[in-house]
Amino acid sequence: MSTETPLLLFEQVSKWYGSVLALNQVTLELTGGITGLVGANGAGKSTLLRMANGQLKPTLGQVSVRGTDAWDWKARRLVGYCPDIDAFYEDMSGRRFVWVMARLCGYTRAESKRRTEAVLERVGMSERADRKLRGYSKGMRQRIKLAQALVHDPELLILDEPLSGIDPIGRQELLELFQALAAQGKCLLISSHELESLEKLTNHVVIMARGRIVAVGTLQQIREMLDDRPVSVRIDVDRPREVARLLLALSEVIAVDVAPKLADGGEGIVVKARNPKRFFELFGRLVVEHQLEVRRLEPLDESAHAILGYLLGGSGKT
Amino acid sequence: MAAQTDTLLRYRPWRGTPRGPLYASTALARASLKLLFRQRLMWGLFALALLVFFGFFFCQYLLVLISNLLDTESVRFASLPVTVRSIKRFFAPLELDGTAHTFGNFIWYQGYVLVIVLALAGSVLVGNDFAHGSLPFYLSKPIGRWHYLLGKCLAIGVVINLLTTAPAMILWVEAGVLSDWQSYYLDHFTLLLGIIGYGATLTVVLSLLTVATAVLVRRTVPMAMIWMGLFVLLPMLSRWLVETFKDERWRLFDLWNNLYLCGLFCLNADPATIRPQPQPAYWEAWLATAAVVAACVLYLRKRIQAVEIVQ
Repeated sequence: MSTETPLLLFEQVSKWYGSVLALNQVTLELTGGITGLVGANGAGKSTLLRMANGQLKPTLGQVSVRGTDAWDWKARRLVGYCPDIDAFYEDMSGRRFVWVMARLCGYTRAESKRRTEAVLERVGMSERADRKLRGYSKGMRQRIKLAQALVHDPELLILDEPLSGIDPIGRQELLELFQALAAQGKCLLISSHELESLEKLTNHVVIMARGRIVAVGTLQQIREMLDDRPVSVRIDVDRPREVARLLLALSEVIAVDVAPKLADGGEGIVVKARNPKRFFELFGRLVVEHQLEVRRLEPLDESAHAILGYLLGGSGKT
Repeated sequence: MAAQTDTLLRYRPWRGTPRGPLYASTALARASLKLLFRQRLMWGLFALALLVFFGFFFCQYLLVLISNLLDTESVRFASLPVTVRSIKRFFAPLELDGTAHTFGNFIWYQGYVLVIVLALAGSVLVGNDFAHGSLPFYLSKPIGRWHYLLGKCLAIGVVINLLTTAPAMILWVEAGVLSDWQSYYLDHFTLLLGIIGYGATLTVVLSLLTVATAVLVRRTVPMAMIWMGLFVLLPMLSRWLVETFKDERWRLFDLWNNLYLCGLFCLNADPATIRPQPQPAYWEAWLATAAVVAACVLYLRKRIQAVEIVQ
């Protein structure tokens, strides 16, 4: 199969559980890099991930991995899946569990052993992998799950809440590992509730709500698409009150706060504007005309939380 | 400067291609068996099954040993004299003479231990995967759902054959050694094939039934209750129905009896010699067994279509 074929392709996919519509005509294409999957509980994230991994069959539409139906076992040679559940055979050691998973991929004993050791080393578990799984902490379980997903060196990695329960140092290590994997040319689809971590990892997100994909792209692109939504912009200037007066004269400005409580404790003004694109054009002209010295210009709500809040109509917390 | 060993000890990347999902099924079966043999209760049950086997093994030997004695003579058991006639009468129902019924009876008695072993094996090997949600780990690997089931059935099949077919084959070898072995092995070779056929039937039917019931109820206690219902209550009910309505077809409710009849068919036993009488015809037993297999396959097919999240 040509590598030009999309690595993961959802074509008009819908999934019904009885009378519940979990996915509604989802179309999505992934070719590489790291993609974050965000959405509220019940948005359809897990259903989407399980379909990408061939664990669920779509009611309508088709899911394919490099052109092969995801339901076909051959497609799973290209996919590594790290589920959010951590139910193992508790009597097994971590090493043995990963080794069994490698054997299920069809490798010989020797090759399974070599791959097991390599992935355990990679996820930082090689020293602790002989303990039984029942004695593992949440973070260790996450690492073992990640190791089994990596053991057959898949092109596409599907990670469901991979950072859950991992301490800050371990989290940083895993974020670096994900970035290294992406740099190797792997495609990672990561579902996470921890948007701050996800933001550090990738700028490319898929936002889901009520079984639909409501936005795909970089956070900035998504924000730009929301032209009719107001944007909050922090502006640090020398003469804030005068600038506030000038800004209020602009047609796109809704409100100006001259004494906002900023997270870093700095001084500046916060402008709420209607159409971000047009506001920045007008503000640029204003700066030139009045020769304003702008020390800082920062949109405050291009974070995933804020965008998610707009899209989902809530706080953005998932 | 690179040392000479750097070029000699370089790791050569694996250049093979992964084997297919059928191979993965055997790997899954091996892993499942190891898990099963870690259970202490399982070893206790195996010991019990071994006792049944040793009972048949040594009694067969004992009967040959006393066959040269007169019925009125006696042998001493725990310092007590027991007549040869009494011993022969005691062991007569087991028919320990190296015929089809010897092996049929042996597997029948092993069945009591086997059903408990399978109830435990089903919940450990399959039920836990569904109850704890570990199934996605297996199904995320390049195997199909049927390969997963095949792996589990293989593991259960090994347990079944360890308890029934393998010891029955040892009894066949012993029966030959205790008599004129050349003529016994030649004349009764079909019995060996019959034992294998009986074992194959048990393997297919019971492994599918174990997996299907484990998928249905998942936990050990409900699983044991269902198996007790199938192998204790249904036989009692079928016996009562046979006596009440005087129709031997009611015995078809008794799955273990159906399997016994299928086994005796494989062993080429005369239907008139089967106890208790009357019994349904062999073809009827096969048909009832095939219906159970079909029901299990259809149920499993329905269940493995998806690992549903929302019920």
